[in-house]
Amino acid sequence: MNATMLGLRRGWIEQLNQWSDRKELFNAVAGSVVTYGLLILWIGDTPVGGTTVTAGTFMTPGFIAFAIFTTGLTALPMLIAADREEGTLLRARTLPRGIRVYLVGRATTVLLTILVNVALVLAFAIPLAGVPAPATPARWFTLAWVVVLGTLAVVPVGAVIGSLLPGPKAGAMLALPAMLLMVVSGVMLPLETLPDLVRRIAEVFPLYWQALGLRAALLPDSVLATEVAHVWRLGQAATVLGAWAVGGMVLAPWLLRRVRGR
Amino acid sequence: MNDVVIRVRGLRMAYGSVRVLEGVDLDLRRGEVFTLLGPNGAGKTTLVEILEGFRTGWTGEVSVLGENPARAGDAWRARLGVVLQSWRDHPRWRVRDLLRHVAAHYDDPRDVDDLLAVLGLTESADVRAAVLSGGQRRRLDVALGIVGRPEVLFLDEPTTGFDPEARREFHLLIERLAAEEGLTVLLTTHDLAEAERLSGRIAVLVAGRVLTCGSPAELARAVQAPSRVRWAEGELETDDPSGVAWELHRRYGGPVPGLEIRRPTLEESYLDLIEEARTR
Repeated sequence: MNATMLGLRRGWIEQLNQWSDRKELFNAVAGSVVTYGLLILWIGDTPVGGTTVTAGTFMTPGFIAFAIFTTGLTALPMLIAADREEGTLLRARTLPRGIRVYLVGRATTVLLTILVNVALVLAFAIPLAGVPAPATPARWFTLAWVVVLGTLAVVPVGAVIGSLLPGPKAGAMLALPAMLLMVVSGVMLPLETLPDLVRRIAEVFPLYWQALGLRAALLPDSVLATEVAHVWRLGQAATVLGAWAVGGMVLAPWLLRRVRGR
Repeated sequence: MNDVVIRVRGLRMAYGSVRVLEGVDLDLRRGEVFTLLGPNGAGKTTLVEILEGFRTGWTGEVSVLGENPARAGDAWRARLGVVLQSWRDHPRWRVRDLLRHVAAHYDDPRDVDDLLAVLGLTESADVRAAVLSGGQRRRLDVALGIVGRPEVLFLDEPTTGFDPEARREFHLLIERLAAEEGLTVLLTTHDLAEAERLSGRIAVLVAGRVLTCGSPAELARAVQAPSRVRWAEGELETDDPSGVAWELHRRYGGPVPGLEIRRPTLEESYLDLIEEARTR
């Protein structure tokens, strides 16, 4: 069996093993959906930035983007650090093509987690929070590629961070920078009050572009008034996310092979 | 000789200024069970990790199955089996799922259910790895190490936590694999009885050097720990027990009452050897 197929199967078994633990399943599902629901109830009805779009609608793409971002860059590194501590990564090194199979497997579990998250938030948002479903096939296409490329942009880099973390508990340190980045990236609310420099820093990271791409897919064009350039900068989004994806994919296998597992 | 599976010449390795291996030479032949003995910190683990291809930065000449482990690829790795000390990996996986998954990495793996039966794990096949007992977990590790039909098997302290029966079964399995399939085994252990039982040859590694290498009997001879001769009226230590016995026979003019000659055990030889190396 080729390494990709084997990795996909590995990821599927791994995910089933994880979901069969009811507590973990509950945390995974409840964590994002309940937070989303509470935010909608709290600030959902306020229009944003002089537009007719409500805060609830505006933050739905941001919420999905943040779920993708943190699954890739916070949850994944903690999983990899745990795999390293338990020796799962070392086992992979003893097997032919083991590291490749392992990486494909982990990417699969992350992708499944992200897909379930996106689906749950959309299922809740479209009928209940008044968020419109993507209006045209082109927008569905934008939704699809932004989710996929946005995932590819964070998964390999997450693997790199995971290989560098001293242990799974150190992963908690990643939550704070992620929150900070969420604030300065204008993910939940339009960013117009922030200094130019802060915005430029945010534009280096994938989160800003994941959120922008998802807004382009899910929000009406009337919200463009709140965007920096007043157009959807999708080409730039693809470039930045692509650069993160390629950089991570080059670095990750190389670093993981060198990780000391014992 | 093309039946040399592992060949090491002048192997040196240092971590910073700490020299771990100081010129190691070894030859392992196909189908041989070879034991690496040595106190903690002697460099056993480093040596084995170099042979497994997990360490770089060494100097010297190392060939495992004809390739340099630091550069060899997946085709080479597929011919190796590795059983490390104290695995805890894949705790949430069920035993059979994990063994199937690992087997799928190889072109011609062993039958998973047969292997579970051979290692007495059939009843634990649907149990999660985390809840196995120490001995069961160890047997799973061995199963994972041999499921790909390796040509070389690295075993690090394999029978820790085995009960005597499981240990015996394991020894029989290893002997059978070596004899029937030409499996070459490099065993590291602290258990001298195990080394004596399984090995064709034993190498003693102390402070980064191979002090001696040979059969258990040769090892005992190499150190020349004295034999102990005991009889009804006395006892003494000698390097020439046969000569002493002859002397006693002549003194008694016939059978010597309560005559007992004890040659040094492997353990005594080993401890003597380490002691000697330390005081040198």
